[in-house]
Amino acid sequence: MAAKTAAGTIEPKKGLRAFISKNTNLVTFVSLAILLGLLTRGRSFEWPSVRNLMIAESVRAFAALGVGMIIITRGIDLSIGYVVCLVASVAASFAQTSDYTAALYAGRDFPLWLPFLAGIITGGLFGLLNGVLVAYGRLPAFIATLGTMSVARGFQLIYTKAAVVGSLKDSYKTISQGSLGPIPNLALYVAAACVVIWVLLRHTKRGTNFYAIGGNAMAARVSGINVERETVAVYTYAGILYGIAGCLLAGRLGLANALTANGMELDAIAAVTVGGVSQTGGVGTMSGMVIGVLTLGIINYGMTYLGVDSYYQLLVKGFIIIAAVYFDMKKYARRS
Amino acid sequence: MKKLIVALLILVVAFGAFGQAKPVIGALIRNLDEQFVADYAANLKVLAAKAGVELKLLDSRSDQATQLDQLNTLITQGVKYFVIVPNQTEATEQMAKAIKAVGGGAAFSNIQPSVAALKVGPNFFLASSPESVAGSIQADIIDNYFKKNPAALAPGKTINALFLLGQLGHPAQKYRTEAVKNGLKAKGYKLNVIAEDTANWKPDEAQQKMDAWIAAYNGKFNIVITNNDGMALGAVESLLTAKYTKADAKDGTILKVPVLGVDATQVALKSMAEDKLYATVLQDSVGQSSTAFELALAMATGKYKPGFKAWGLSPETKPGSEAPANDAAVIGQCYLVPFKAVTKENYKSFMTK
Repeated sequence: MAAKTAAGTIEPKKGLRAFISKNTNLVTFVSLAILLGLLTRGRSFEWPSVRNLMIAESVRAFAALGVGMIIITRGIDLSIGYVVCLVASVAASFAQTSDYTAALYAGRDFPLWLPFLAGIITGGLFGLLNGVLVAYGRLPAFIATLGTMSVARGFQLIYTKAAVVGSLKDSYKTISQGSLGPIPNLALYVAAACVVIWVLLRHTKRGTNFYAIGGNAMAARVSGINVERETVAVYTYAGILYGIAGCLLAGRLGLANALTANGMELDAIAAVTVGGVSQTGGVGTMSGMVIGVLTLGIINYGMTYLGVDSYYQLLVKGFIIIAAVYFDMKKYARRS
Repeated sequence: MKKLIVALLILVVAFGAFGQAKPVIGALIRNLDEQFVADYAANLKVLAAKAGVELKLLDSRSDQATQLDQLNTLITQGVKYFVIVPNQTEATEQMAKAIKAVGGGAAFSNIQPSVAALKVGPNFFLASSPESVAGSIQADIIDNYFKKNPAALAPGKTINALFLLGQLGHPAQKYRTEAVKNGLKAKGYKLNVIAEDTANWKPDEAQQKMDAWIAAYNGKFNIVITNNDGMALGAVESLLTAKYTKADAKDGTILKVPVLGVDATQVALKSMAEDKLYATVLQDSVGQSSTAFELALAMATGKYKPGFKAWGLSPETKPGSEAPANDAAVIGQCYLVPFKAVTKENYKSFMTK
């Protein structure tokens, strides 16, 4: 198409190209949304569908924001799925109805804030542990979080005795399942978290430090940044976000068990990578992470809507991740 | 670019051209990696094709959150009637409420819906064989074995058992194990669990566990009980490799101790034909899927009436011992598909020719 255009109109094209190249993730998202809109004859643009998408992706968004920050510092976290699973189980155990005889604390009625406190502390502690292992133990993040993943799974099975933690109080479930007017509560929480993360990354010294460490840890250290302390901080923040994710997920499902959130690390890491957070460290934005989550969400939603076989869905997901990382690597290899 | 747009438009029109007249049934399937669930789904497809029904079948890959998302998606597509193989009993009420909100109905299989889920409305059904029945049938088979071979028992009517369990926390793991243990105790045996551990449904993990156990407990166990055929066959391989065998198969197996599975897969039946695996239990995927499908179809075509016969089965009339078929208020919504013991006497009839 460009070849057919008269010489005089090349200038704005360049502008468009520059825009596309700068905002690949946004352009991908919008194109996929339009494609899905066409394939579903406009149904995917209707409010119930948009609402479903928001509900479906909210919990993942928390996990993605957490691991996104870690990847900015050039780390990785594989423990997400089982940490969220453990948190959901802990939170659920404090939110069971008191007349449920099979409850973990049968006959006890806890205040509504306790499951959240317990869940967020659990998540935060695992984040702290990950951070300490990576920063002070000098373990590769890949191995450290692989280990804590197994630890979290073990704790979950021991704590719940492998049973389903169900029969949660309606008041607890409403926190996740309710809505403010037409907008689901979950989306509001994500929005709030986004604001916090945006401020943290863009307007605090700590945020700047994260980018500096990811860009070049050695240089960051030389310039006076306490790399260890900041590394512990980023993993702990991520752990707190997983904590919130687990609490909300338990409320959304009305239960937690050993299979809850399994594999969420893959979804979260894939989402932020698609959203332009570079595996080479030092690159990524809050908005990119959210766009990444929504992009994978729209692909999931589209494939479900069109009835694509789940085995093929796995293939598609895998290819998307590989492609996203490939282009990411290519982009930054060129730059360096 | 233009070509792409034309291609897209053609695609859109093609999708739009699908007739709307066919009844639509949504099938929310827990996880197609499980043999039983895969067989269940395969039969649904056959039934839908025969009945001229549009079947929207979705696999949640063992994730309840995904299953909820899939349900919401189908509801926005206008689907009202469902066949559901849920992930957890505890999630069924929430799903039933979402379906009730659009005036639909559903039949639940494999994992029992809660009583509360069936109480959501008269259009919600159990079309299943509760997992615990598989365990109870294993207990019956074991009881028969030791009645025929009392010498195999340890003193004091004691059963020294090794248990290979499915994925911990999985409902089938939990209920099958509980039921076989309770069943044996109820029959007056002293059950001594020599060792039990998960092998995550997998033959290779089961084989590894069994290798270690044979070394540690040689001669100290008199039965191997597993939650599925895959693990049972892993244990059989391990016993064969360790030469834990005897000269004859008078008691039905050349192994020194009987090994039991659940599922009656074709490889398991072949192993029985070779006098290796002792016995298994058939969870009737065809029976469950046919019952659930006929209920959903009857609702979708307005033919459902209380007392409707699905796959030749009538709903229960008297409350039994297991939820949800233990509640008089919903007993008319419960269709119990029988499990079948698969033993030396009848295994040939389950083999596909």
